[in-house]
Amino acid sequence: MSKQSQEEQSLEEINRSLYRDGMTDGLPVIPPTEERVEEMLRGTDYDRDHVLGVLGNNENPLTVEALAANAVMAGCVPPYMPVLEAGARALADPDANAIQFSVSTGSWAYQWIVNGPVREKLNIECSSGAFGPSYHANQTIARALGIAYRNTAKIYPGEKDMGVMGNPFKFSFLAGENEEMSPWEPYHVTHGLDADDSAISLAGPNGWVQWFPSENTAENVLRGMIDNTPPSMRARSSDGINATILHAFNPYNAEEVEKAGMSKQEVKQYLVDNSYQTTDGFSEPRGSYDKVPPRQVRQYYDTDAVKIACIGGPGRVSAIVGTSIGGPVTKKIELPNNFDDLAEEYAIEENWVPTEGFYD
Amino acid sequence: MGLVTPSSANENQEQKPLVPRVDDLDGKRIGLYDNGKPAAEPLLTAVQEKLSARYPDATFDWYHVAHLNYIKNEDEQEAVREWAKDVDVAIGAIGDCGSCTKFLTWGIEFIEDAGTAGVGLIDEGFELDYQSNSIERGRPLRYKKTPVRCETTDLERVREEVTEDVIDGIVDELTRPLSEKERADPIPQ
Repeated sequence: MSKQSQEEQSLEEINRSLYRDGMTDGLPVIPPTEERVEEMLRGTDYDRDHVLGVLGNNENPLTVEALAANAVMAGCVPPYMPVLEAGARALADPDANAIQFSVSTGSWAYQWIVNGPVREKLNIECSSGAFGPSYHANQTIARALGIAYRNTAKIYPGEKDMGVMGNPFKFSFLAGENEEMSPWEPYHVTHGLDADDSAISLAGPNGWVQWFPSENTAENVLRGMIDNTPPSMRARSSDGINATILHAFNPYNAEEVEKAGMSKQEVKQYLVDNSYQTTDGFSEPRGSYDKVPPRQVRQYYDTDAVKIACIGGPGRVSAIVGTSIGGPVTKKIELPNNFDDLAEEYAIEENWVPTEGFYD
Repeated sequence: MGLVTPSSANENQEQKPLVPRVDDLDGKRIGLYDNGKPAAEPLLTAVQEKLSARYPDATFDWYHVAHLNYIKNEDEQEAVREWAKDVDVAIGAIGDCGSCTKFLTWGIEFIEDAGTAGVGLIDEGFELDYQSNSIERGRPLRYKKTPVRCETTDLERVREEVTEDVIDGIVDELTRPLSEKERADPIPQ
């Protein structure tokens, strides 16, 4: 990359240069000047040369400094660094299978769920529209991790990333769990961490479906979870297969199911017990059979392949996210000593719809 | 003030040579390397049928990776190398998606590691993918594009599409002498 100063190169020229070298996601970026990267590094206690993990075929190292440069480009602010570092460790975890879902024709996305106190500190959205645009932390953290993976592993669409369709979610699929409205234990606790921990979880799905029950009752919600799972989505985590499906419950649906006395595990078991599909439909049964192929197969093969989180705001609509061929892996977010001060320094109070004075 | 590079450093990887090709396939022991993708076996089956008709004295020896991902295991990689030592040349299939093209280059590299000339069979849409994975592995691994579209498992259809021209191309990749670049000759001082 050119060492020409930012004063000598216009914003447009730098963006053209970075795009030409394959270092962006196609959208404009903030130039990662030494000054901006230095400021971003205030968000970490690690040395800039610390290697967070290795990514891609050649196991290229991702250093804290390179992550910070990608964070600058994506529009992140320094207190996001600990979330990014944990995300980088998730990407490098072999159980995430990131290398495979980054190159596969299936156009898989990097799908993130954030848990714990860090959500409030960084204003990571968990309620209405959490997976959508608008929220600075949700959008820029996912973007930074996406381009950091690409720039470290060095994979490009049509070159090693052979996703046929591409995926609009690929670098933007992040939400916090709505723990405060969830009737169940948080997602990161299910995956082995303490409730007081902050954490980020990575999976690799390629699709999602939004659906709603005809009535917000436990029975309709549970049946709807199965009826609205497309035939192409299958969940199984055995015999060397790791294909999972996430049910992102909105709080209202979750509340109804919990009121019926069902735990997360019992919901998963319900799906396994009731998701038989006939095999003469669109999809052939997987596996080889010595005798007569089965007439029915379970769409949800085992409870470990079903993941549940409570995400989103008021309403009846929930989402099915899958099939994921990577993870999920959950990593604890380690906060730097100055985190609280930094989060406060960079906090933005949203003033999108001023209501002050109207209802006082 | 300059810019901090957001990408990993480019290592100047030393290019490794390919294994010298054979003069002819007649009477040779030909390896057929199935990388675990369902479309690999029918393609290699059709290739074997055409080659055995052309070279009646050639023999064939298969290696099946049970599942695409198993090639990530070091034991599997070593088993491929051991298998490849006992064949004169090897034809690998298939590169017809992102993961399997990557893993096909791995397999062909393990075959070359064993001192055996290899060639990978790919869907033409995955040529750049095969090339870039080969570049990362430091070898211009040879390949032959086939007209068989990705993930085709219908053996009858594959048989029709594996024409004598395709076989000519495979034979060429296994017998055409190495270029200077493929030999990775040191630059004369």
